[in-house]
Amino acid sequence: MQRQLFHQIGLPTVGMILILSLAGCAPEADKPLEEVNYRLKWLYNISVVGDLYALDSGLFAKHGLAVNVKPGGPEKDAIKELELGHAQFGVASADQVIRAVSKGSPIVVIAQLFQTNPMHWIFRPDKTPLKTPQDLKGKTIGITHGGNDETIMRALLAKYGIQESAVTLFSVRYDYTPFYQGKVDLWPLYRNAQAPIIGVKLQKAGERFDLMDPSKMGIRFVANSVVTTRKMLEERRETVHRFIKALLQGWREALNPANKEKAIALVLKYNKETPEEIVRQQLPATRILMMPSADFEFGTIDAAAWQQTEEIMLAQKLIPVRVYVEKLLKPIGK
Amino acid sequence: MLHRRIYQFLMIYFTGFAALMLVKYSLDLSDYVIPGFSEIWSACRRYFGLYLLAVLNTLSIAILGHVLSICMATVVGIIGRLTIWIGSFIRVAAYNIQAYPIVAVAPIIFILLGDGLSSRLLIAAMICYFPLLLSIIGILSEPVSEIEHFFESTHRMKWQLQVKIRAFENIHKLMTVIVGSATLAMVGTIVAEFIAANAGIGYSIRIALYQSDLAKILVALFLIGICTSIYLVFLEWLGGIIKERIGSI
Repeated sequence: MQRQLFHQIGLPTVGMILILSLAGCAPEADKPLEEVNYRLKWLYNISVVGDLYALDSGLFAKHGLAVNVKPGGPEKDAIKELELGHAQFGVASADQVIRAVSKGSPIVVIAQLFQTNPMHWIFRPDKTPLKTPQDLKGKTIGITHGGNDETIMRALLAKYGIQESAVTLFSVRYDYTPFYQGKVDLWPLYRNAQAPIIGVKLQKAGERFDLMDPSKMGIRFVANSVVTTRKMLEERRETVHRFIKALLQGWREALNPANKEKAIALVLKYNKETPEEIVRQQLPATRILMMPSADFEFGTIDAAAWQQTEEIMLAQKLIPVRVYVEKLLKPIGK
Repeated sequence: MLHRRIYQFLMIYFTGFAALMLVKYSLDLSDYVIPGFSEIWSACRRYFGLYLLAVLNTLSIAILGHVLSICMATVVGIIGRLTIWIGSFIRVAAYNIQAYPIVAVAPIIFILLGDGLSSRLLIAAMICYFPLLLSIIGILSEPVSEIEHFFESTHRMKWQLQVKIRAFENIHKLMTVIVGSATLAMVGTIVAEFIAANAGIGYSIRIALYQSDLAKILVALFLIGICTSIYLVFLEWLGGIIKERIGSI
C-alpha cells in the first residue's frame, strides 16, 4: 500500500522537483531574449560605433537582451519614442533632455556618451588667428539657428562679455560653400564625424585648418547621453542594468585601440557611404571626445557639466524654469 | 459668412487638432510630445505676429513663383502642343524632369544660387511648374474639331487663333489647374525654406523642429492654411471674373 502510494504520488513529485531544479540550472543562453528597442540620435556613423559593437559582438545577447538598434535622424526624437512606448532606451542630447523634462517628460539619464561636446568650429588659422575668445570680435561666425551650436556660441559670447553686435552671426546649413569661399570665418561642425571630411578637402586645397573647442573656453554643454523613462528604471531595473552593462562594455571595447580594426570594419559594414580612410580618422577623434584618458570610466555622467548646460538654457530662456537637472541623472554603469 | 475654402480648412485643422489632443490625454503624454492647450495658446500669443509675417513672406514668394510658372507653362505649353518633334521633345522632357524629387535637386540649386530669394523662387516655381505645364500641354494639344474645322477649311487658321480657341473652350479646366497649382507653389516655397533658406515660415518651422516645439509648428500650420486658403479664394474670384468677361464676349 505504502509502495503503491509512493509510486502514485512520490515518484511524480520527485520527478517534478528534479525537472524544476534542472530548469533553474539551465544556461542563460537557453532563456528567450528580452526584446527592447534602442533609438539612436543619428544615422549609423562613427558616433554610434559602440552601440553597433555591442550589437554585433553579441554583448546584448550575452546579457539576455535582443536589442533593436534603430538609427536616428533629423526628424527622429528618441525621447518622444520612449514616451510613446516605441523604444525603451534612446540617445538624446542634454538640451533635448532638459527641454523635455521642463515640459513634463518622465525621462532619466543613465549614462553619458560624449564627455566633450563634439560641436566645434573649424577655422583657417592663417586667415583667422584665434588665440583668445576676444579674437572672435569682428569675425563672421556660422551658427544653425535653433541648433545646439547657436546656444553654445551665444553662451560663449556672453561668458566673455562679447556683444553680439561685435560679431556677425551667419546662418548655416549643410552646404559649406560660404566657408570654402571665405565668406564665413568659423563654421560649426562635429569634431569627430565632419572635421576629418572637411579637413581633407581643405588640405587638398592647400589650406591649413584648426578647430575651436568651446569646452576649452569654459562652455561645457553636454552632448549625447543614454536615456530611458523613470517608469522603466523603476519597474524593469534589472533590464536597465543589463542593457547599460552590455552597452558600456561595447563602447569600451570599440574605443579600445586594440580593437581598432574591428571597430572600423563595423562602421563600414553599417555605413557604406563613408570612405575607409575617413573612418580611420574619425575613430581616434571620437575616442578623445568620449575617453579623455585611458583609465576613464566610460559612461560617467558629468553632473557639473549638466548643471552648466541647464544654466545656459535658463539664461537663454530656452526653458522657462529650472528643472534641477541633477535629479534626472541616474548613473547605472558603476 | 466665411468662404467655403476657409471654413473647410478650419474644419480640417480643428479636427486634426482634436485628434492630437485626444491622443495626448488618452495616452497621458507630456507637453514635450504633444503640447497642451496652455502651451499652444502661449506660443500663439508669442509667435503669431512673427509667424504671420513669415507666412506672408513665404506667400509673396509663392505668388511670384506661381505667376512665373503660369507664364512659362503657357509659353512652353504653346510650343509643346505642336505635333512636330519639338513639341514631343518638350512633353517628354517635362515628364522626366518632374519625376526628380525636389529635395534632391534643391541642394544643387542652393549651392549655385545661394540661400536667398532666387533659390526659393526657383524651387517654388519648379514644384508647381511641371504639373501646370503638363496640364496646359494636354489642354492645348486637344483639338476643338467643330470650331477649328471651319477655320482650317477656309484657310484662316493661325496658331494664335488655335491657341485662343482651345484656351477659350477649356477655360474651366485651365482655371482649375491654375488654382490647384497655387497650393503646390506654397508647398514648394516652404520646402525650399525648410531645406536651406534664411527666411519664411519653412525656415521658422525648421527652427521649431530643432527645438522639438510642436506648439510653434501648430501655430505655423494654422497660419499657412489660412493664408493659402485666402490666396485660393482670391484666385477663384479672379477666375470667376475672367470667365464672366469671356462669356460676355
